[in-house]
Amino acid sequence: MQHTRDLGRHDHVCWSYDDRADIGLHVAEFLLDGLERGQRVRYVGYGNAEALTEAVLAVDGIGAALTDGAAEVTSLDAVGPGGAVIDARGQVRSYAAATDQALAAGYRGFRVATEATSLVRGPEQLTAFLHYEHLVDQYMAGHPFTALCAYDRTRLSEQVLEQLASVHPSTNLPGAGFRLHASARPGHSAQLSGEIDMFNRDVLVQVLDRVRPPAHGGRLVLDAADLTFIDHRGLIGLDAYARSRDTTLVLRTAFPGAARIADLLDLPGVRVEPVA
Amino acid sequence: MSAIDTQRDPLFVHPALFYGSDEEYLAGLVPFVTDGLELGHPVAVAVPGKRLDLLRDALGDAARDVTMLDMAEEGRNPGRIIPRVLRRFADARQDRHVRIIGEPIWAGRSGVEYPACAQHEALINAAFTGRDVTILCPYDTSALDAAAIEDARQTHPVLWEGDRRYDSEHYAPDRVVARYNAPLPVADEDAFTVERPADVSAARRFAVRRARELGLAGARLADLELIAGELVTNSLLHTSGPCRLGVWAEDGHLVCEVRDGGRLTDPLAGRRPPRAGGTSGIGLLLVNDLADLVRLHTAADGTTVRALLRL
Repeated sequence: MQHTRDLGRHDHVCWSYDDRADIGLHVAEFLLDGLERGQRVRYVGYGNAEALTEAVLAVDGIGAALTDGAAEVTSLDAVGPGGAVIDARGQVRSYAAATDQALAAGYRGFRVATEATSLVRGPEQLTAFLHYEHLVDQYMAGHPFTALCAYDRTRLSEQVLEQLASVHPSTNLPGAGFRLHASARPGHSAQLSGEIDMFNRDVLVQVLDRVRPPAHGGRLVLDAADLTFIDHRGLIGLDAYARSRDTTLVLRTAFPGAARIADLLDLPGVRVEPVA
Repeated sequence: MSAIDTQRDPLFVHPALFYGSDEEYLAGLVPFVTDGLELGHPVAVAVPGKRLDLLRDALGDAARDVTMLDMAEEGRNPGRIIPRVLRRFADARQDRHVRIIGEPIWAGRSGVEYPACAQHEALINAAFTGRDVTILCPYDTSALDAAAIEDARQTHPVLWEGDRRYDSEHYAPDRVVARYNAPLPVADEDAFTVERPADVSAARRFAVRRARELGLAGARLADLELIAGELVTNSLLHTSGPCRLGVWAEDGHLVCEVRDGGRLTDPLAGRRPPRAGGTSGIGLLLVNDLADLVRLHTAADGTTVRALLRL
């Protein structure tokens, strides 16, 4: 990903930056793109409202939208400089209400860009935030709500960035090599795509542990139709995770190697189900 | 000859049976099976298909009490015979003496396969040290060349010929392992260099692309991708320098080779069954499972592993 324009209607973007001046432009592009699609847009960030407004004014068209109510800017300063632990369900409800209001006011949807670095700095915050990302991703799959989460690369560890990147369907990070996000298909706990090997399986297990995708029929069912590779270390990691959670993990994948390894190793916590 | 080389194991029995005809084959093996069954020993027979039919017919009803395995299939890659044939059977029956007939070497084995077969026979001794197990290995003296019979005298502490049972004067399994640890010449092919974890995914894709061009398809491509991933990951984990991944076709096989600067010091690497909950040593075991043949050369200046898949 090189830019934040022309992303799909249901896009949920993770945007990392190392230059604060640069992020204003990307946020503005993302918001402007929403305005062009007839959506109401909001920028959420730290600093006073004037500075935030200044940051997004770089692109033509935002100014007028700010005036007529199509665009708004909200400061997170009220939450406190240390950053709060996000109330995952409450935040999703709040965005759902704002989406409904936008639709009622005649807009075609609601779009938010959040400077989220301060919401993910501690382990407890990160756990809550990853859980929130998963819930909001599920909401987005069925509603005209889109979001961009911006993170300051220079203030977060590579491990945290990998976890953040892996829960967003779109990202500009080289990332972890896999994505875990809400599945649009019924009966699935989450969707897993990309590649899993010894170099990212720990990130996957950490993300699963933080996100805690919902069980289906007592099992964790992963829609992994777009998982293109998983090795024995990945499957052993999933097996250990499933057993630690007293559940069975069902991996529905088109990669034939997964079933091969599951047949060759004793992995009581994992069931591989081939899909076309 | 070192002391350890020639030491006879007090429990583990590993004879070679030399036979020159079907009659001699049955005369040696049928009583071994039926005596074992009478003593209450679990018995498994792992020999190539036609020999399996011959033995099954001769055993009659007794064959029902015997685990019969086609060695041409189960042991096509000799590297997986110890973990997946011999130890799988013996480890599940540790409370009793176990009898196994294993015939890993037959006249149809190719020159590329044979060194791995001979090393396998030698390594059985180390793999079963102290185990209450008998593994009897038939050798067809009418079809195998003299060198193979000579190797059998070095890989088996006991030899059976007709009614004779005697200790082998030439027993020296480590020598056989060393003799067939021969350099694998550098193939004149474009190789993919792997220096860091970030290269591994691209290395797998390189292997798959080459394999597809060379005619590998379907689930075998996934096997190849797993093999390439395991081999380069092992190199990154166990050596300090880069490794080179090559993929080419040779004599009806796809060859996937990884060459690095490390030395493999454990001769049984990849030949131990997976332990419940264990995670180490599984990479090479899976390569043995997935490949039709694995050839290996290891020395102070580096290690080369070749996994072959039939095209």
